[in-house]
Parts: sequence; C-alpha cells; structure tokens
Amino acid sequence: MNQRMATFEKALVEAVDEGLLMLGESGREVVYFHLRHYYGFTKEDVPSNPQILVRCLEKIFGVGARAVERDIIKSLYRNLKLKYMEKKSFDFIEYLNEAKAQLKDDK
Amino acid sequence: MLKIYKLSLMTIIGLVALYTFQGYYPEFIAFFSNAFPPLITGAAVIVSGISLERYWRRISDKFSAIWLYFTCGLFLWFVGEAVWAGYTLIMGVLPYPSAADVFWLAGYIPFFMALCSYVRLFGGALTRKTLFLSLAATFTLTIFVAFALFIPVLEAGDDPVTTALNIAYPLLDLSLFSVTHLGLVIFWKGKLGKPWLLINAAIVVNTFADIIFIYATVQGVYYSGHMIDVLYQFAYLLFMVAFYVHAKEF
Repeated sequence: MNQRMATFEKALVEAVDEGLLMLGESGREVVYFHLRHYYGFTKEDVPSNPQILVRCLEKIFGVGARAVERDIIKSLYRNLKLKYMEKKSFDFIEYLNEAKAQLKDDK
Repeated sequence: MLKIYKLSLMTIIGLVALYTFQGYYPEFIAFFSNAFPPLITGAAVIVSGISLERYWRRISDKFSAIWLYFTCGLFLWFVGEAVWAGYTLIMGVLPYPSAADVFWLAGYIPFFMALCSYVRLFGGALTRKTLFLSLAATFTLTIFVAFALFIPVLEAGDDPVTTALNIAYPLLDLSLFSVTHLGLVIFWKGKLGKPWLLINAAIVVNTFADIIFIYATVQGVYYSGHMIDVLYQFAYLLFMVAFYVHAKEF
C-alpha cells in the first residue's frame, strides 16, 4: 500500500512538471512561483493536497485551467502506464482517484 | 496596479480633451496626431519587450515564442507609425496607401500568430458550444462590417491597391478579434482575464478606428488631427497597459 502510494505520488509530481511544460519553462516557473507565494506550496506538496494546485491554476487561468489539468492527468496516466479515457463529467480530483483505483486493481 | 489604470484613464481623458478643443490650436493638433503615435507605440514595444525578456528561454519554448511574436507585431506597427510621421511631419504629405501600410499590414502576421499560439495552448478548455457561438459572433460582425463599409469602399471607385487596403484592414482586425475574444472567454475568471479584456478592448477600438478612418478617407473628410486619430492612440495605450498588467499578474 505504502509503496503503491509512493509510486503514485512520485508519478504525480513528475506529471505536474511535465503537464505544466505546455506553458513552456517560463510559464511553469511562474505557476510554481504563484503556488509558493500565494499558497505556501511546492510541487512536492501537490500529492498531499491536489486541490490547492487546482485552485491556483483556476485563479490564474480561469476556465483555461482545465486544459492544463488535462495535460497533467495525461502525463500521470502515461507515467503510471494506465489507460487514460477522457470523461466529460470528471474533474482533476476524480481523475486522480480513478488513477489510484486503477493502480490498485493492477497490483 | 491601480496606479497604471488611473494613469491610463487620465491619459485617455487628456487626449479626448485635447482633440475636442482642437479648433483653438489646429496646427498643434496636426503635429501632435502624427508625432504622438510613434511615441505611444514605442512605449508599447518597450513594455512588450520587457515581458519578452521575462518569459524568454528559447524559441522552441511556447511562451517565449508568443512574446517574441507580440513584440515583433508591435515593433512593425511602431515602424509603420514612424514612417507615417516621417511622411506627414517631414515631407508634409498625407499618402494613402504608403510604405507605412506595408509595416502596418506586416504587423498583423506576428500579432495573429501570438494570439493564436496563446489561445491554442488553452483551446482544450473550450466547449463545442462556445466555439460555435464564437464562430457565429465573428460571422455576424463580418456581415455588419461588410454592410457598413464594403459597399461605400467599392462604390468610391479608388484604384485597386487602395480598394484592397480599405477592405484588408477591417478584415485583418476581425481576424484578430475572432481569436482574442476566445482568449477572453478562456481567461475571464482568472488573473489573466484582465490583460485579455484590455487586449480585446484594444482590438475593438482599433477595428472601429480603421472602419471610421476608411469611411472618412473614402468620403474625403479625413485630415491630420481628425478625432479618429485619438482612437488609434487609445488602442496602442490599451495594448501597452494589457502587456504591463499581464507581466504583473503572471
């Protein structure tokens, strides 16, 4: 269980890094700055409270946050070698829960 | 941040007052309306350049490329304004079309590329319904512009180059607007909503300015210092403030 969670958390941090790269390196750095400056968070804290990342992205990009979140989720599923299926009703947190569930079923 | 809005509002009020009472100083306003645009465009290029310096990593970096395009577009418009000022202030002529138009038209290309690249990054956040409504809005605006402008332009019987230019400017403005309003929809609720609102305002003002300028030129009522000129200056000011606010917010 712990090892599975550790794998998930590591993959999520990497996915945040890769997903935010859609903004380019400078854009990613600015998002990290906002996360640190306004929420006292680093990317390593995202697995413990992903809602903060969602809030930060929405605060900056409005509806555009969805596009960034989707890239992060795609990276996460790719990193974990899980099957990604787009679901209109799913938000970022639900995708994360789905990934955790898939990871659990795979083991 | 409030300072820049207050300063912009004061500049706008000052410009309106200056142009409203131009009857008292016709020679000065003729000079001012040609000398001021290169200054305000130059300031916009500098602000955009500061953002470019901030976001620049390499050309393959998307945000770096976007700001390079924005800065190139504004720079070409600045050159256009400087060339126009050269014609009017040094040579004392009011040529249309002129070499200035080459730069103004060229400026639309990088500007369009910047807007498209920016909006495309977040395009996945737009629903089909939004895209359909956007297409409908752009189509309606094009029809409106066509009725308001194209018929008088074609009836004026100018030479083909002038006629083509008269039609090209509003169409290019509308092409910019077709992308920018999507940006506003995407970023409206976020911090980037403010700069995108200002970019939209700048493009709308510029579109109105181009339509009225062409209409006035066709009717033969345009002169240096015409009230229309203040709209172009507003547009450049709005671009400058938009880029400043963008750099501050993001």
